[in-house]
Amino acid sequence: MTNQKKIMFILLAALMLLPISACSSAQKSDGEKSAQTTADPVKQGTKKMQQINKNLQAALEKNDTAAIKKYGKQLNTQWLSYENGVRDRFPLQYAKIERYQQPIYAQSNLENPNAAQVKENSRALTDQLSDLLAAKETKAKPSKQMDQAVDDYLKYADEQIDQLVKTTKPFVQAVKDGDVEKAKKRYTLPRIYYERAEPIAESFGDLDPAIDARINDVETESDWSGFHEIERALWEKNSLKGQEKYADKLMADVLSLQKKAKSFKLTPKAMVAGAMELLEEAATSKITGEEERYSHTDLVDLQANVDGSKAVYQAAIPALIQGHKDLANQIDKQFQAFDKQMLKYKKSDTEYEDYTKLNKEQIREISNELSKLSKLMAQTAKIF
Amino acid sequence: MAKDDLSTPNEQKEYSRRDMLKMTALAGGGIALGASGFGTVLELLGNKNGEANAANQSTVPFFGNHQAGITTAHQNYGYLAAFDIDPSVHDAAKIMALFITWTRLAATLTQGKREVNSDNKELPPNDTNEARDLGAANLTITFGLGHSFFTKDGKDRFGVAAHMPKQLTAMPHIAHETLDPAISNGDLCVQVCADVQQVAFHALRNLIKEALGTANIRWMESGFLNAPKGQTPRNLFGFKDGTANVADSEDQKNVIWTGSDEPQWMRGGTYLGYRKIKMIIETWDRDSYSDQENVFGRKKNSGAPFGQRHEKDPVIMNKMPADAHVRLAHGTGKQIYRRAYSYTNGIQPQTGNLDAGLLFISYQNKPQDSFIPMLRLLGKSDALNEYTDHIATGLFAIPAGIKKNEYFAQHLFE
Ligand code: HEM
Repeated sequence: MTNQKKIMFILLAALMLLPISACSSAQKSDGEKSAQTTADPVKQGTKKMQQINKNLQAALEKNDTAAIKKYGKQLNTQWLSYENGVRDRFPLQYAKIERYQQPIYAQSNLENPNAAQVKENSRALTDQLSDLLAAKETKAKPSKQMDQAVDDYLKYADEQIDQLVKTTKPFVQAVKDGDVEKAKKRYTLPRIYYERAEPIAESFGDLDPAIDARINDVETESDWSGFHEIERALWEKNSLKGQEKYADKLMADVLSLQKKAKSFKLTPKAMVAGAMELLEEAATSKITGEEERYSHTDLVDLQANVDGSKAVYQAAIPALIQGHKDLANQIDKQFQAFDKQMLKYKKSDTEYEDYTKLNKEQIREISNELSKLSKLMAQTAKIF
Repeated sequence: MAKDDLSTPNEQKEYSRRDMLKMTALAGGGIALGASGFGTVLELLGNKNGEANAANQSTVPFFGNHQAGITTAHQNYGYLAAFDIDPSVHDAAKIMALFITWTRLAATLTQGKREVNSDNKELPPNDTNEARDLGAANLTITFGLGHSFFTKDGKDRFGVAAHMPKQLTAMPHIAHETLDPAISNGDLCVQVCADVQQVAFHALRNLIKEALGTANIRWMESGFLNAPKGQTPRNLFGFKDGTANVADSEDQKNVIWTGSDEPQWMRGGTYLGYRKIKMIIETWDRDSYSDQENVFGRKKNSGAPFGQRHEKDPVIMNKMPADAHVRLAHGTGKQIYRRAYSYTNGIQPQTGNLDAGLLFISYQNKPQDSFIPMLRLLGKSDALNEYTDHIATGLFAIPAGIKKNEYFAQHLFE
């Protein structure tokens, strides 16, 4: 391309990002089209996915770690090679496949992937891939699309909160047993689920502070409870003396969150705002190491916040690609870029590099990728 | 246009994104689309009845033969910022898109206008609004390119290294400096000056906001410098600073503006030399009055050189101590055009001493023959060194002025 042409190209791309171009969103409406045409790239791509997924399952049967990692990565490469076509035509199915394929990829980058988790996701992926092969292209009405998006997102949030309850239980037990080492090991997992679904918790007045307040968030120390109070006991005091009551309260608060979340209603706007809140959280308290100031597990929370906002993005894809396809592309790329850079610090499912081990440049680098993501995500409001 | 925007008297000073796009398109495709349009949109939406009823409505033209903010009368406040190209950017096209956006924004803001917000209130506002009621206050925005923009680790980054300005290098090591790399150098630089600090900050903030993802802010400094109209301002050592600057446009051509020895796109430009110089204020304040004058070789109040009566009288070298700042600088026989700002930044927590100094900025057409040799000599011998510490550095190529329908550094790429 000559420079001149490149410029025009950029300008056209820029045009697509502008609200005024919404009028051009009445793209080819050649009615319903099924993916079942022979030369259809979506069909072909999906068949390849199925084959790799089969190989992966065979590797899982044999407990062949090297092969698990290989096929996990292959799945990702294959997905990236044709996902844009899926997103444009089958947005609903797209988000579902991403949900199961991405954890597999994340695991395959670890030295020791969690086989049980890979298996579970791989099985779910099998169903989603068959769904995609059978799916018809449809164009739901925008308002309906957004209702569907909220439903999808709430399902995700519910799952996270259920997992929060499930993983808080053993943590609380270890605390009550006075087992410092075990409690330290079990601390991060519930944190992940909490941080992913935090916007939901934040909508119930006192629950978020009761569960997640940091010491500087409360007026007096006697008002302090939740994860971070126990975090301090574990890492600063190295003793769980007197922590039983905090453990009990934490469990009760988390259960109460679960109960309230079940009947929680969310508007599409609040959902998108929630995604932004998560990114802002990550960009303010996590990137500065303030959130997990005793355990230094801030990167775990940071990734969880980003995961949570990604769930909103994925739910909103069907609405987004109507007229804002280019934005969807950019966001997609930026989530990938972000996750990729975080892989450098990931040690296992629940373990990232200690925040204090990162140098200034590394923190700035993460912060920069996060800012780029926030800037793009702020534009998702174009769907309204 | 959003309703609450309509209700304000500033309404005609705003652009919608659609207008911006038109301008952007015209700027980008300037050659292809011809000269129509860009100016027209500006005029149409311009503040036609915005007669200067307050001093801060004054504007400095953005388009011209040379960039503004260099020989422009020294505004009261200045920001200097450097940016690094985002590691994900490997393609000149993205950078060109940023320069188009920056040009559009700078051309808008310097004329006291701003971008209008979207009708969609769920989106973040386009303009940050803090300068809404303030006018342009002689706002100038000056863009530059650092050595690392062209080559980094020996690599031609964006395919333009062959067109590198002749006098652009990485800064050499200078005696008596304690540099902090995090606040030195950078791929791009932007100088923003205005008579109202809030106006200058607003402009830079919005430039940063637009650039994120293509170019990310590396460092930012801010300073002030005040003087009654027509008088030379004083720096924080209490001396008039800028006396020897050339005022005549023919002299300025010789000292500041680049000529035919540069690649075509760089002619009519200049180089920005930058040093952040910490002043050891407390030590200076305890120094005797006569010694302070000896340090410069000039009288503190009048600014007159030793042996003379008036500020503008010629320097008599042998009347000054051998290590006097002015004697050394003058003795190089070279000239530079200084446009510094003073800075303060609270206190230094370890000592309780003030954290303050000078953002030394000078413009010259041959930095390798003037600015850098001068720095070398001063670094070794200047009496001023006892009271100063150079903590940051930079050298940037400032291309010629931007013409209507064009964008910053267009002729480097096209
Ligand atoms: C904190 C640091 C500095 C202070 C406080 C300072 C102050 C001054 C003052 C008071 C004068 C006399 C008035 C005038 O002509 O403007 C002067 C002149 C000058 N200074 Fe500096 N200066 C500083 C750093 C520098 C540096 C780093 C350079 C060059 C790299 C420089 C180059 C010059 C030159 C070229 C002159 C004019 C000499 C002439 O009469 O031809 N100064 N400076």
